[in-house]
Amino acid sequence: MSKKNLLAIASMALGLTLSSSAFAQTQITWWHAMGGALGDTVNEIATEFNASQSEFEITPVFKGTYEEALTAGIAAFRAGEQPNILQVFDAGAATVIGAKGATVPVQDLLSQNGIDFNIEDYIPGVRYFYADANGKMIGMPFNSSTPIMYYNVEALEKAGVTPPKTWEEFESVTAPALKAAGFIPLVQSHLPWEFTENFFSRHNLPFATNDNGYGDGETKILVNTPEIKAQFASLKKWKDEGLFEWYGAGWNDNQKPFEEGKVGLWLGSSGSFGGLQKTATMPFSATFLPYWEAVTKEPTQTFIGGAALFAMSGKSAEENKATAEFFRYMSSPEVQLKWHKQTGYVPITNAAYEMAKAEGYYKEQPAAEVGIQQLSLPAGENTKGYRMGFYVQIRDVMNREYGRILTGETSVDEAFATIEKEANELLERFNKTQG
Amino acid sequence: MKRAGFNLLWLPIVLLAPQLVIIGVFFYWPALYAIRSSFYLEDPFGFGSTFVGAGNYIDLFSSAQYLKVAVFTVGFTGLVTFLSLSIALVLAVKADKIIRGTRVYRTLLMWVYAVAPPVAGFIGVMIFYQGNGPMTELLALFGYEFRLGVNYYDTAAAMVAVATWNHIPVNFIFFLSGLQSIPQSVKEAAMIDNRSGAGRFWDITFPLLAPTAFFLLIINITYALFDTFGMIDALVKGEPGNNPMTLVYKVYVDGFRGNDLGGSSAQSVILMVLVLVLTVFQFRVMDRRIHYT
Amino acid sequence: MTAAADPVLVATSRVRRKLSWQTIADHAILIAGSLLMILPVFAAFMTIGASDVDISRHGMQFTDGSHLAENFSKALFIQGGFTGAITGSTMLLNSFILGIGFAIGKIVFGMMAAYAIVYFRLRFATFAFWVIFTTLLLPLEVRILPTYEVVHGMGLINTYTGLIVPLVASATATFFFRQFFLSIPEELVEAARIDGAGPVKFFIDILVPLSRTMIAAIFIIMFVYGWNQYLWPTLITTDEAMFTLVRGIKQIYQSIDGGSDIPEFGRALALAFIAILPPVLVVVIFQSWFVKGLVESDK
Repeated sequence: MSKKNLLAIASMALGLTLSSSAFAQTQITWWHAMGGALGDTVNEIATEFNASQSEFEITPVFKGTYEEALTAGIAAFRAGEQPNILQVFDAGAATVIGAKGATVPVQDLLSQNGIDFNIEDYIPGVRYFYADANGKMIGMPFNSSTPIMYYNVEALEKAGVTPPKTWEEFESVTAPALKAAGFIPLVQSHLPWEFTENFFSRHNLPFATNDNGYGDGETKILVNTPEIKAQFASLKKWKDEGLFEWYGAGWNDNQKPFEEGKVGLWLGSSGSFGGLQKTATMPFSATFLPYWEAVTKEPTQTFIGGAALFAMSGKSAEENKATAEFFRYMSSPEVQLKWHKQTGYVPITNAAYEMAKAEGYYKEQPAAEVGIQQLSLPAGENTKGYRMGFYVQIRDVMNREYGRILTGETSVDEAFATIEKEANELLERFNKTQG
Repeated sequence: MKRAGFNLLWLPIVLLAPQLVIIGVFFYWPALYAIRSSFYLEDPFGFGSTFVGAGNYIDLFSSAQYLKVAVFTVGFTGLVTFLSLSIALVLAVKADKIIRGTRVYRTLLMWVYAVAPPVAGFIGVMIFYQGNGPMTELLALFGYEFRLGVNYYDTAAAMVAVATWNHIPVNFIFFLSGLQSIPQSVKEAAMIDNRSGAGRFWDITFPLLAPTAFFLLIINITYALFDTFGMIDALVKGEPGNNPMTLVYKVYVDGFRGNDLGGSSAQSVILMVLVLVLTVFQFRVMDRRIHYT
Repeated sequence: MTAAADPVLVATSRVRRKLSWQTIADHAILIAGSLLMILPVFAAFMTIGASDVDISRHGMQFTDGSHLAENFSKALFIQGGFTGAITGSTMLLNSFILGIGFAIGKIVFGMMAAYAIVYFRLRFATFAFWVIFTTLLLPLEVRILPTYEVVHGMGLINTYTGLIVPLVASATATFFFRQFFLSIPEELVEAARIDGAGPVKFFIDILVPLSRTMIAAIFIIMFVYGWNQYLWPTLITTDEAMFTLVRGIKQIYQSIDGGSDIPEFGRALALAFIAILPPVLVVVIFQSWFVKGLVESDK
């Protein structure tokens, strides 16, 4: 190599360093729990944000499961090394929102940085789930989903039935016909989410005292009620009669039989839609989560599941500005629409929803609209969300006791007495952690 | 302890310093911190906390669930220890007895030692998979529907099977070496004295192996208690549900999944005490044994 | 009574009658044991040859291996993560650094400490021994959050030091070396002293060469142990370029249960195989040292 060439390379390298230091970008990090294809979409959004402007640069880091991401975020916060943005899931909301001072409320963050914020821009179901008692939005809803009922089109045709609107219809008409046609009538995927939390919202029943836990002070769970006990007695009965099957607490173990076409009805996440399109071996569609006519004649909307993005505190004003700009970008209709279409999660703003409608997306994919329609059903005083501390463990207790009901190790009455007792002990303990 | 030695003061201190510093910073300090946390209920982010005295311990000992986990842990540890020790012993006795091929069998029987427990758990998940795992299909031939993750005892059986599989090799290596170090003259004398093979084993070989077996007992107990963590996490796919779990896994579930620092620390302290008792016990017996041999 | 049951006869006739029923039974048991060890991993290896869809539908299977190369190349070279820094090869490198660094750290610190405890008349030797020994059985898992905070406070997140040193904080190697040094005849140190060798000379010229097998054995044990760590690396490495293999597998099989896509069984199994191979090879190739070391430590 000649001297000239070397010189050219050296000056080029120098030029590069100079140019990168001239445009000193504000670097922010984002810890998330989106693995696999979801993680690819997250990376895509981040890359496009970085390409869309030159002031800020975001780096997403996959931190494992939701629980691991939250724990890593907490440990990092205690050591003063927190990321700018942390993704926290529904069950962890009480932990992160309860620690006032750990996060900058998204509503404040946006308005401080001159970005318009109007909670009415968000679709009804996501507005208050990550909000405080006064309705101020703390976390920016990101991947929002809600449990809906998928159905195997061929199975229902063969059995000569339509998807049930109520569980009574399921029990008397749909399930026996599906069973006779050689299908497993019903499988679910997450008992605490689909048959507990959303049981309370779908029927507009209180899930906890103290305004479902949003208020200050002590909260008690209201899980030991005749309505939900009757539901679990039915589930156990259906399982014994071959009308319902349960494959353990793992999500995917329960989804697989549906993908393989063995199951008539499957309760899954509206976010399962994207994956099912690739994995299902038969035509499928979706409809609302059924309700119990015996409990209510006016079913209400469901809670959102999934996770929200929280801006961690203790960051410089420039970094917070970068975070705010990223939130603006992320909640823009174009990005939301892309996220919605690629993953199946619902768009969080009305504008994105309108855009999808205008584009004719739901004409091609009617099932993709079910989640957002269900979240837009009439609201009730008990449907904005729930806020309970140590809720991850409360869910673990539910999963454990529900498993024991379904395997016949315990009775419905005993199981719910145990859940109520252990959950209230956990809530009491959590209350002390805040003291 | 040795009688003969050097009479320098600075050198041993210099030699010990690195180890003591590392242990102090990365072991004792965190351990003391855990003891302190066990008396508090603390907001995970560190904003609030309440001193609860022995409250976390009282909650644990009055929790039916914690006791159930403790009982499972004891049963699991006992079964894994018994099965892996006895299978390894049989294999070692046979490998020692045969004339040709000992080395080949030793290689074939020991390499699983190097398989990481989480990886073993992952392979276990595939083997016991609901519906299509090879073992599940095999058991179905005998009319048993094995359901990992659904049936408490099926999941427990899978855990025991994977842990035993993962831990046979270490026991095998120790037993085989123990057997091979028994002098040929002792073996020959035993053959003349004792006519039955089984009697010879229990009268001569087993007592000679007893120190090894005792050492292994402790190794196996700590393996089943602590090192199975990654394997269990893989087998329950991170969702404990109604599946069995061990005490260490519960520390993780409450501390890491649930962010209950106080409760989880109290469980850690209980385990520390348990381990301390085990250590002292081992040393008592081991030191005595060293005097005997 | 048959001839086979008579020990004296068996002993004398061993050479002549190689194929007694007893011998066949012994080999049958050993072969069964070997198969028990091999088959699970073999089945996993064979399954790597299948496509993700097939594995998802039918579980473990024997295949023509048409996807073997594809799954291995995915496992080794597909760029994961946002920065594209996670590939099987970088994880492999990190695993080697962790395994080797951990083993060396354990041996160096352990040997020094054991030498001080065994060969010096120290008033606090017993105390030091107990201080070190207490760490022997208490795993990192039960004190992991405070340990994480300490390491974080020292700014060691995402460094090899932060990854390796906290793991070194236990006494296994010290214990093994102590046991080994105790088994060395006392006359040796007496002779050395008479020859006028100082403690440093004795350590380097006599003790270290004598401990060669022991060092090799402990190196193998510690290498395998370090390589197989996963909870600590998961917590301490947030930088994708720092991921190790065992951690990487967890990440992939986690996405298997996400339910959002066809699970990447093939890639996960291939990665599992890559994670198993180096420690297994080390153990198998150096098994004589390994066995000797293990057994000597038991003295």
